[in-house]
Amino acid sequence: MADANNTPAVPQPPVELTPVADFLAATLPFDTLSPSELARLLPTLAISYHTRGECFDAGSEPCGLRILRSGAVDLRDADNTLLDRLGEGESFHIGGLNAERGQVQARVIEDALIYFLPDTAYQALRQAHRNIDRHFSSQRNRRLRRAARYQPAANALLQRIRDTMSTDLLTVRSSDTLQAVAEAMTQRRVSSALVLRGTQLEGIITDRDLRARALTAALPADTAIASIMTANPETVEADCSLFDATLLMTRRGYHHLPVTEAGRLCGMLTTSDLILARQNDPVYLVQHISRQESPEGIKALLEGMPGLVVQWSQSGMHAHQVSRVLTAISDAVTVRLIQLAEAELGPAPATWCWVGFGSQARAEQLFAADQDNGMIISDEARDADAGWFAGLAQRVCDGLQLCGYQYCQGGVMATTESWRQPLQRWQDTVRNWTATPSPAAVMRVSIFFDLRAIYGDDRLCAQLQQVMLQEASRNSIFLAALAANALENRPPLGMFRRFVVERNGEHRDAVDLKKRGVLPITEIVRLHALAHGIAAVNTEERLQALTRAKKLTMGDGRNLADALHCVQQQRLQHQCQQILAGEPPDNFLKPHGLPTLAREQLRDAFTLIDESQAAVRQTYRAGMN
Amino acid sequence: MWLALRRARCKRRAARTPLAACWSHALPRGGAFCAEVPFLVCDGEMSSLDPATGALLSLGWVAIEGGAIQLGSARHYLISGAQAVGQSATIHHIHDRELARGLPAAAVMTAFLQAAAGKVLVFHHAALDIAFLNRCCERLYGAPLLLPTLDTLRLEQRQRERRGLACAPGALTLTSCRERYGLPAHAAHNALLDAIATGELLLAQIAHRGKNTDVRLRDLR
Repeated sequence: MADANNTPAVPQPPVELTPVADFLAATLPFDTLSPSELARLLPTLAISYHTRGECFDAGSEPCGLRILRSGAVDLRDADNTLLDRLGEGESFHIGGLNAERGQVQARVIEDALIYFLPDTAYQALRQAHRNIDRHFSSQRNRRLRRAARYQPAANALLQRIRDTMSTDLLTVRSSDTLQAVAEAMTQRRVSSALVLRGTQLEGIITDRDLRARALTAALPADTAIASIMTANPETVEADCSLFDATLLMTRRGYHHLPVTEAGRLCGMLTTSDLILARQNDPVYLVQHISRQESPEGIKALLEGMPGLVVQWSQSGMHAHQVSRVLTAISDAVTVRLIQLAEAELGPAPATWCWVGFGSQARAEQLFAADQDNGMIISDEARDADAGWFAGLAQRVCDGLQLCGYQYCQGGVMATTESWRQPLQRWQDTVRNWTATPSPAAVMRVSIFFDLRAIYGDDRLCAQLQQVMLQEASRNSIFLAALAANALENRPPLGMFRRFVVERNGEHRDAVDLKKRGVLPITEIVRLHALAHGIAAVNTEERLQALTRAKKLTMGDGRNLADALHCVQQQRLQHQCQQILAGEPPDNFLKPHGLPTLAREQLRDAFTLIDESQAAVRQTYRAGMN
Repeated sequence: MWLALRRARCKRRAARTPLAACWSHALPRGGAFCAEVPFLVCDGEMSSLDPATGALLSLGWVAIEGGAIQLGSARHYLISGAQAVGQSATIHHIHDRELARGLPAAAVMTAFLQAAAGKVLVFHHAALDIAFLNRCCERLYGAPLLLPTLDTLRLEQRQRERRGLACAPGALTLTSCRERYGLPAHAAHNALLDAIATGELLLAQIAHRGKNTDVRLRDLR
């Protein structure tokens, strides 16, 4: 018996648990640990096996982090709503989830091998590593916190009145006649006038007063306005916030509020000023753009755009809505730049049309869109007019570049002569492209087949589009070349639906969502639309038209639309996160870091693209390559 | 019972050895729930499949306590002093050079018996490992191991026979058995990693027998 105690301690050689370490090293957030830190973690782990149907809840012992080595687990809340589905490499801390959201249950839905990290080791790890701690604080809370951080700048109502009020005031005297005041207001295009005695505010007169108190009562035109003005109107101090002013105006039903500084009149605030102050509302942003007097002014307005898009996205705006708004904004910018250029160059010597290509035409822009544009000029224009059009193109494209829409690498811009032509020559060009379709040429010009009139005479654009559809739909060789182009970019899925990520370089482990997701879908849909003579340009509208014309089944149409939504949504969210992190937005997403549900959706979307490409190969390239 | 009888017969020879110390611990009762039974999952690498001529080259083990494999208990020993590894290096990747860094068999057995005290030993294909361990014990302590043992291979075989399933050649290898339970692929060929893989298999087998708490130790015999 005594021997048990007397046995000399046997030296213990180091234990290598390489497969376990390797697994953890490939798992979020343990991938941030150094090999030695990881090695210290291993002895604290316990491995257990759980069959389908087993549940973990707040009372499950022991308490700690459960990492799925294999199998799958569903997290559901008290209402049995699925919160997340976890797979290999993902983890949950059932105690933590319950403290945060109450009554969360984890149910094994596929036999699971679990690596268990006891709570003490888990908490110590979170304390020691900020990255790991951040990973485990709930995703939802994290998003909310970041959104909140953006709030102060967003809240326009906290601005001071001084920054928003109009200072260009129409002042009159109480002895002026109705006729004179009405004329002055009309001439100045204002809806109110302030009645002064010396520097002292005596009253206010508005459009409504003229209507309700003068015309209705049939007062003679030479009546003094003293009889209809509102005497001693309420005023507000310039340093008050817009919030105070809004409150006052809505309570009393005022549309006009004189602003004073230290008792002296200094401005006027109207309800439309208040509306305009809500800059984060996309509608007003577009209006603001149309009021700018220089490209620099537009640029300054657009500087807040990334933050705004993050806000919109976080307040639940979907990617396709965001891209509609972003396209409306780039349209507004283009139109305003054209107007400014026209003001400088004088009126156009002939009718013409500014067209947008690619994503702008399709209204599918997201962050960092390049410019793709051109001009269609009436055949009546003379050679001598060419200078005007070239000058306008230069000003507009430079302006767009200044405002953040980068010059097109491929030269698809109105400044390039071949993209700035009379209608007849455009139509000839299209006939040439479709008659001798080399794959390289098709790839270069495929963007052209999504076009939309942005400014000017849109009949020119419609005429060009008509020729384009005629030529394309009856030319199977051209369609085959277009199909080859649509098959060029494969979705990033390999065998067994694994993501195929970039192996090395700057975007290692990432997937190019634009090139591998958005482009294949838009190209497939464009191909179908051209083949069937459908004039719509927006991908979703094209799909609807194709479905209506029974060229696509309802299911296929909807599936492609869903796939596009899903990829664009991931792309938008990815870009928003980059903006929040202070990085420039790009299209490279690491699927590894996505929540399982999102990752599965993305996988589904890519699978769908793959199937659609197979169908394209069948239909348009049967018997070729 | 039978184990206790055999031990009693060898008791004098093994007296005052680590083996006797190990025996002094109470044996887990057959009626105990599996979740409460401490197991020691083991695997050894040998220079030959014949215990008469081959030698134990390495020994790895890990404990299962409270129904979970405790990685902190994992141990892996290379055993020095055996004859040259020779050809078998191609199977187990242990070379003479590495064995020189190992510990004498006596030290490794001491550590092993300390870890095994009061536990049920688990092997995949127990007969071979037990034969080598018995020889080792006989040589060192004059008595065979005589510890309660469970074999995941036999367990799987009986389970399949009970359900009327044939056991094709190769169907009972560790890899095939693990596949059947959806356990992740394991490519390792080192005593400790095989022991852990065997432990995971045992947990899966127990879990599939019923709820963890329902299965008793004797149900696995």
